[in-house]
Amino acid sequence: MMRVLWSRLRAVFRRGALDARLDEEVQTHLDELAAEYMRRGATRDEARRAARREFGGVTQMKEAHRDRRGIPLLETLGQDARYAARALRRHRWFAAVALLSLTLGIAGTTTVFSVMNGAILRPLAGRDVGELVVLEPQRNHERYLLFNPEFEVLRERQRSLSGMFAAAEQPFLKVEFPGEPPSYVRASLVSGSYFDVIGVRPAAGRLLTGSDDSVSPDTPCAAVISESLWNRRFARDASAIGRVLRLRDKDCAIVGVAPAAFAGHQPGSIPELWLPLRTVSERRVLDSQTLAFYSGVMGRLNPGVTRDQAQAELTTLYREIQALEPPLPPTIRQPPKPSELSMRVADGSAGLHNLRRQYGEALTMMLGAVALVLLIAAINVANLQLARGANRVREIATRLALGASRWRIMRQLATEGAVIAVAGGASGVSLAVLLTPVLTAMVFGARAAALDVSLDVRVLATAGAATMLTAIVVGVIPALRLSAPRSSRSLSLGDRSRDPVGSQRLMGTLVVAQFALCLLLVTAAGLLARTSLRLSGIDLGFDSGHVVLLEIADETPGGSQSFSAIETPETKATRATAYRLAEERLSAIPGVQSASLSWYGLFSANDLWTTVVDPGRPSDRREAHVNFVSPRYFETVGMRMSRGRTFTGTDGFEAPRVAVVNQALARQRFGTRDPIGAQLTPDFPGEEDRPVTIVGVIEDARYNSLRETTTGPMMWLPLQQAVYRINSVDLRVLPGAEAAVSRQAAEVLRSVSPYLMVRGSTTLADQVGRTASRERLLFRLSLAFGGFALLLAAIGLHGMLAYKVARRTREIGVRLALGAQRSSVVGMFFRDGLALAVASAVIGVPLALAAGWSLRAFLFGVAPRDPATLAGACGVLALTVLVASCVPAVRASRVDPVVALRSE
Amino acid sequence: MDEVPYGALDLMVLKTLDGLGPLHGYGIARRIEQVAEGSLALNQGTIYPALLRLEQKGWIASEWGMSENNRRARFYAITRAGKKQLAVEADLWSRTVAMMSRLLEEQS
Repeated sequence: MMRVLWSRLRAVFRRGALDARLDEEVQTHLDELAAEYMRRGATRDEARRAARREFGGVTQMKEAHRDRRGIPLLETLGQDARYAARALRRHRWFAAVALLSLTLGIAGTTTVFSVMNGAILRPLAGRDVGELVVLEPQRNHERYLLFNPEFEVLRERQRSLSGMFAAAEQPFLKVEFPGEPPSYVRASLVSGSYFDVIGVRPAAGRLLTGSDDSVSPDTPCAAVISESLWNRRFARDASAIGRVLRLRDKDCAIVGVAPAAFAGHQPGSIPELWLPLRTVSERRVLDSQTLAFYSGVMGRLNPGVTRDQAQAELTTLYREIQALEPPLPPTIRQPPKPSELSMRVADGSAGLHNLRRQYGEALTMMLGAVALVLLIAAINVANLQLARGANRVREIATRLALGASRWRIMRQLATEGAVIAVAGGASGVSLAVLLTPVLTAMVFGARAAALDVSLDVRVLATAGAATMLTAIVVGVIPALRLSAPRSSRSLSLGDRSRDPVGSQRLMGTLVVAQFALCLLLVTAAGLLARTSLRLSGIDLGFDSGHVVLLEIADETPGGSQSFSAIETPETKATRATAYRLAEERLSAIPGVQSASLSWYGLFSANDLWTTVVDPGRPSDRREAHVNFVSPRYFETVGMRMSRGRTFTGTDGFEAPRVAVVNQALARQRFGTRDPIGAQLTPDFPGEEDRPVTIVGVIEDARYNSLRETTTGPMMWLPLQQAVYRINSVDLRVLPGAEAAVSRQAAEVLRSVSPYLMVRGSTTLADQVGRTASRERLLFRLSLAFGGFALLLAAIGLHGMLAYKVARRTREIGVRLALGAQRSSVVGMFFRDGLALAVASAVIGVPLALAAGWSLRAFLFGVAPRDPATLAGACGVLALTVLVASCVPAVRASRVDPVVALRSE
Repeated sequence: MDEVPYGALDLMVLKTLDGLGPLHGYGIARRIEQVAEGSLALNQGTIYPALLRLEQKGWIASEWGMSENNRRARFYAITRAGKKQLAVEADLWSRTVAMMSRLLEEQS
């Protein structure tokens, strides 16, 4: 069978040679036959005729030969494609509109899918990644934490996995290469089995192994560097292996290089350094039930074990371990019951799911929207094709009359659609290659660089599938309709006005479908527009304009890195001096109006709560956010005083301890009483019995999220009185000075101490805006998609009406001749458009409601079924219909009855 | 004169090539006519699609050569696979014929 197929396939491409061979064979045959007849005494002519007779029909035989020889379908396909290309060249406008809309539709779909593929779907560069799983500890089916002792026991006792590792990200790990000032490296702290489990081979040296987990504290730990770090810092020198890095209080020796193809275990984050988690962490921390926890745990399934089986085993074990644990300290408000816990085992072929959690839903929405746009574009082209086809009724009737089968005509019309679709697909994919990096940057910002969004088999397959579906809509629907057998009267002249009613009805249906889908997109855009407006219209409670934020880490050695540890007063005093100096020098930078330092910045996603005790009633322990700030903080970020005072330079280390609170805390703790002068004790380690006196009240504000509906209690303490390591520098600057100031500020901080390291700089407005970036992105995209879809639908409607006008020129002429008003003719076409609009709304409104419902997680300050938005969307739809009907309607009213009647 | 039964032409061609060695199309047609002794209505042209079919299946092979009258002609020869197929088909054919004749005798 294969053999026959192969020889036939070959024959398709050797058609000419094979025809010649057959011709020659037949000629020889005829010559031999004729010669035979002549030997028997026939004349040359008689012999030739007799030979022909005996041979039978040469042409029929050749045709039969050809059919057997090649693949007729393929050969006529080539013919049809050439014919279609010719036809399209003749109708440039149609071809341009069709090609453009399909290109944009397929480019959009491919682009969004590429981004999704790079962020969520692309498999890790490991061995048999299908066996990799992500372990997600859950409490009541919500994400939960897995502490190190639990992790270790679990790993020890489980039997479903051949290996298991934990990983913790350190985007800013301070590393000192010998003889250099400290710098930051993006690091992953991982179990030693990490590379074995994922299945990575070294580019040089060796990778981490299980034995790197347990080395004695005085030998250097093992470190693996990335190929890019190897290139950048060591110029691929083999002597890099063996070099020693200093991390805080530990030395690590480079043992090998991970290959560039391995981009880590988590899309969007490419580590430059891998360190054995156990060896670099303090024993005390590892053994604690509250300190070292992992949200990133992965494993590899044993052969033959399914994810469900592994999940059952691990959940049972996880609960057993929890039941054996000693009760947790009271800082965790409600210790979990074992029955609340479970260990979800999810597909790990694409690594950890952080990006999927954050962006999965938004990307899925986007993909849905672009797919709709593509569908609308395809319907539009199908419609234009129908309108065009109606003008070809005679051509088709002629071909049917000349003996073409309906199947053949259909195939030819479908090929025309397919040619457009394939051309649109090809240019769409090319355009997508250009658009993908742009969209990636829009969605992921700084993280975009760490994502590989290049074309791969999955993207191409998706683009191919989109093209194929488009080809079906664009080719098959019109082909079915147009090739429908008609009466032979279609051939007769003067039948141009005879209306293929079926075509018109189908066109109407398609236009209604387009507008219904448009209504969905426009409603979604409307809901997201209102969300964006509401989010940007929120009163933040502070002034985010012209404030530069520097994210700082104070990496000064000595003292404690952790907030919960107790530091000596000397350490704190030294630190206080350095911070005062930094504040002075920052204030002196030209363009800076006000400078301040704080423990953490606004909207920095620090959500730390501290218990605050009323010293008068020790049982009154309630939680509040606490921040430590320098005196000019409130002025810098523009928070408004309600009562009392803010901090001054005199609120120093030795001065009486003071605090400022927000209105929410004042209300919660003191009700209508005056909070000024009252005392509270923040329950920090080592400071439990040092109450602070409230000296001021600040108006409530948003601190971490625009979506906060109620403001939590908040308390500020002078940085000089409780000197923790700062994480943020805030600078109010003159408009336009942002970039220069942020550059100079970094230098100033370096001059104060090389250990005040800048991790990043931004503005307060950007910092706030980032929290609504998904909503704004979805809004902008849905606006673009909705607008484009409306334009397409308008083109479709215009095409249909224009076609109708052309069909009915004679009828209009008669009406006008009989005295009809031109306005009534115009009205006739507007009524048609309006009827379509109403039908679209009837179908579209439920779709739009469904769209609103699926968007509900992204909406803010607007209900998913907001009637005003829906009404607005319907209005936009009606307006579009009106505009699209205008031109054809006016053209209809300009029909000159005399010309119209004479032309037929 | 009768039509060639379905499938019989292929078998005739194979048998002819097996018995006489490589032949051109005209030779094959002539040989079949001779054997049929006028009991067969064969348009000689119909053997060409049959030859193509057999060649596609790999049962015969062809090459250019010179005919007895010094004309360039395509010569067909049976292949090893063709011989096997001939044995199978011949067997099937004779059993079919035997079965058909028994059936027809009983009925009459």
